[in-house]
Amino acid sequence: MVRNIVVLGGNSHPDLVQSVANILGVPPCNRILTKFSSGESRCEIQDSVRGKDVYIIQTGFGGNGSKLNDHFMDLCIMISACKTGSARRVTAVLPLFPYSRQPDLPYKKSGAPLFKGGSENGKMDYTFESVPATPAPDLPRTLGLTNGSDITNRLAKTTSLPNGTSAGAMSPVKPINGESYLGANGQGVATPGYTTHDYENMSHVGAFQAKPGYKQWVAQAGTLVANLLTCAGADHVITMDLHDPQVQGFFDVPVDNLYGRPLLKRYIQTHIPNYKDAVIISPDAGGAKRATAIADSMGMDFALIHKERRPTKITDRQNATMMLVGNVADRVCILIDDLLDTGNTITRAAKLLKKEGATTIYALLTHGVFSGDAISRVKASAIDKIIVTNSVPQDEHKALLGPRLDVLDISPIFAEAIRRVHHGESISVLFNYD
Amino acid sequence: MSAEMANEIKLISGRSHPELSEKIAKRLGIEVARTVSLNYSNQETSFTVGESVRDEDVFIVQSTATGDVNEGLMELLIMISACRTASARRITAVIPNFPYARQDKKDKSRAPISARLVANMLQTAGANHIVTVDLHASQILGFFSVPVDNLYAEPSFLRYIRENFNTEDCVIVSPDAGGAKRATSIADHLNTAFALIHKERPRPNVVGRMVLVGNVEDKIAILVDDMADTCGTLVKAAAVLKENGAKSVLALVTHGILSGNAIETLNSSVLSALVVTNTVPLGDKVQRCPKLRVIDLSPTIAEAIRRTHNGESVSYLFTHAPV
Repeated sequence: MVRNIVVLGGNSHPDLVQSVANILGVPPCNRILTKFSSGESRCEIQDSVRGKDVYIIQTGFGGNGSKLNDHFMDLCIMISACKTGSARRVTAVLPLFPYSRQPDLPYKKSGAPLFKGGSENGKMDYTFESVPATPAPDLPRTLGLTNGSDITNRLAKTTSLPNGTSAGAMSPVKPINGESYLGANGQGVATPGYTTHDYENMSHVGAFQAKPGYKQWVAQAGTLVANLLTCAGADHVITMDLHDPQVQGFFDVPVDNLYGRPLLKRYIQTHIPNYKDAVIISPDAGGAKRATAIADSMGMDFALIHKERRPTKITDRQNATMMLVGNVADRVCILIDDLLDTGNTITRAAKLLKKEGATTIYALLTHGVFSGDAISRVKASAIDKIIVTNSVPQDEHKALLGPRLDVLDISPIFAEAIRRVHHGESISVLFNYD
Repeated sequence: MSAEMANEIKLISGRSHPELSEKIAKRLGIEVARTVSLNYSNQETSFTVGESVRDEDVFIVQSTATGDVNEGLMELLIMISACRTASARRITAVIPNFPYARQDKKDKSRAPISARLVANMLQTAGANHIVTVDLHASQILGFFSVPVDNLYAEPSFLRYIRENFNTEDCVIVSPDAGGAKRATSIADHLNTAFALIHKERPRPNVVGRMVLVGNVEDKIAILVDDMADTCGTLVKAAAVLKENGAKSVLALVTHGILSGNAIETLNSSVLSALVVTNTVPLGDKVQRCPKLRVIDLSPTIAEAIRRTHNGESVSYLFTHAPV
């Protein structure tokens, strides 16, 4: 039992809130958090927060009929409500930090433009070269899948989709796909299947063309989100496995970045037979550090997949765009990454590993967002077992993927972090036991 | 010659109300800037500017659509922030219907003052100037430390009444005490009678008992308010006015939010017409509700943008509606 702590939960992940509150031995704070019929969020905190240490848990995940931006605004409103309600300190707990993955810029740092032929878009089968769906006026369009639909459903949907928008009629201000993003009935977002990687594909936004001579400017929302949280009144932020650790530097308030690594390591030790003989793989160079940290501490071999994004006049694309550094023949492979969004990177990596002779492929990820076609893609992939944490709700994904998906519980880590922050104890010792 | 180079208006439109942006752009004789907003499959909003805004005078038009307020607000914040980091000289957020305007006070313990939060967020994102229309409470201006131009739909309403009715037959009615000032102002300009309805409101979005103060017998009663949400108040007020002998009842409302069952409520009400402005995207509501009339407010907004850009006074627009 901890006194003076208030655990307040948003709508994005009620299960996590409940289990963190249970571990801390405090009931979650009573609150009303709904929407007015006009669409504005309505928030009322029903328990006193005066002089209390408030922890607001809201993960950056929209799905199951809810929207990410709604959750984020709710979080800001809750923070502000607690602040005006004289809370002593307000800590925003974001297991998955929204907007932490900055979009890939359309141009490389060297300035070389990245053009990809539009012809490879719109493939229906998940092949090695499958890229996330990028609808454009003249291409077959894939609407973003809600996680519940299966692939046949999706194909049916795609073929029946009227493709009437001509390039000329499409002006930049019109909603993409000619469909309003405002679901008139308020439920179910029409999410086009764009991913943060779409900026590699110049055709990604249909008729949209930058003015001649101007390189388009893509909003990088990470700093904004950090500023908005502090502006709402957050005194402290707790999150887990930030995609870019630099995001920590966007804040003027303390940020505790927890690691999912110990959980993943324990899973490897307890669930993978003969894990010492397995190889840890990083699916891209960016995650190499994360993966080597695990490999080193456990004395395991390490390999890396190098993604070549610069198109080099490819005929045999498969070999040119991805190469494996290391040996995996006849071994168990463990892919380590921080985030699974559309699942493109990880499934492509798995495919390559199978080709190189891997026997069994495990994929361990901290955040399993499974957006867009991810579920179908993972189902069709060579991954034998995929392991994620419950930083975002996993019930639906579990139902769809069945025994192929294992979910690790992060609520003890967050509960312990909250307890330690509250008592002013060190957080770093949480991650020193290896 | 001034030291600074002359800059241009860049009009950027969000996804919530492209029609309004187009009308404003047309009025200003410019084109809407090449930008694109989209949602990734993980629902994060992305925004791309396709032309230089460096050292330009940027105006971002974003209304907030009914049912999707947070989506529109977040998009607006990202647009502002993107223009800020792209070195725009000045960023003006044109928000015809200010979101969360009704949550402007701590009316219960631990209730959020969301309007103030929105004001702070806009400034945090980098807005240098705000243009809005008929704020629910003018005190919201005090939440900002940047200039806010609060435009009025009143001149457009006055013209509508003068063009469509004989003002001597009319009586202007305020559906609640809070709107009395707005209604009396119109009544004074038209030189007509004024009445007021007093209501008790037990819970939000629920309307209690209503009492009419004033005489509406054999007159055309014109209800005036700043927003019509579920229309419960308006329809009940209209019924009270009819009971008190009004010949016909119509309503003039700036922001037609029309959420929930508003359209059905309106269609089955005694209101002969609901006149709204196009500050809120109405979608197919005009087709679904034959009683709905729309006044175009884009000339007023466009003129405010032009005057702001040129450094001219905007107060002329408080009393005159550009044609």
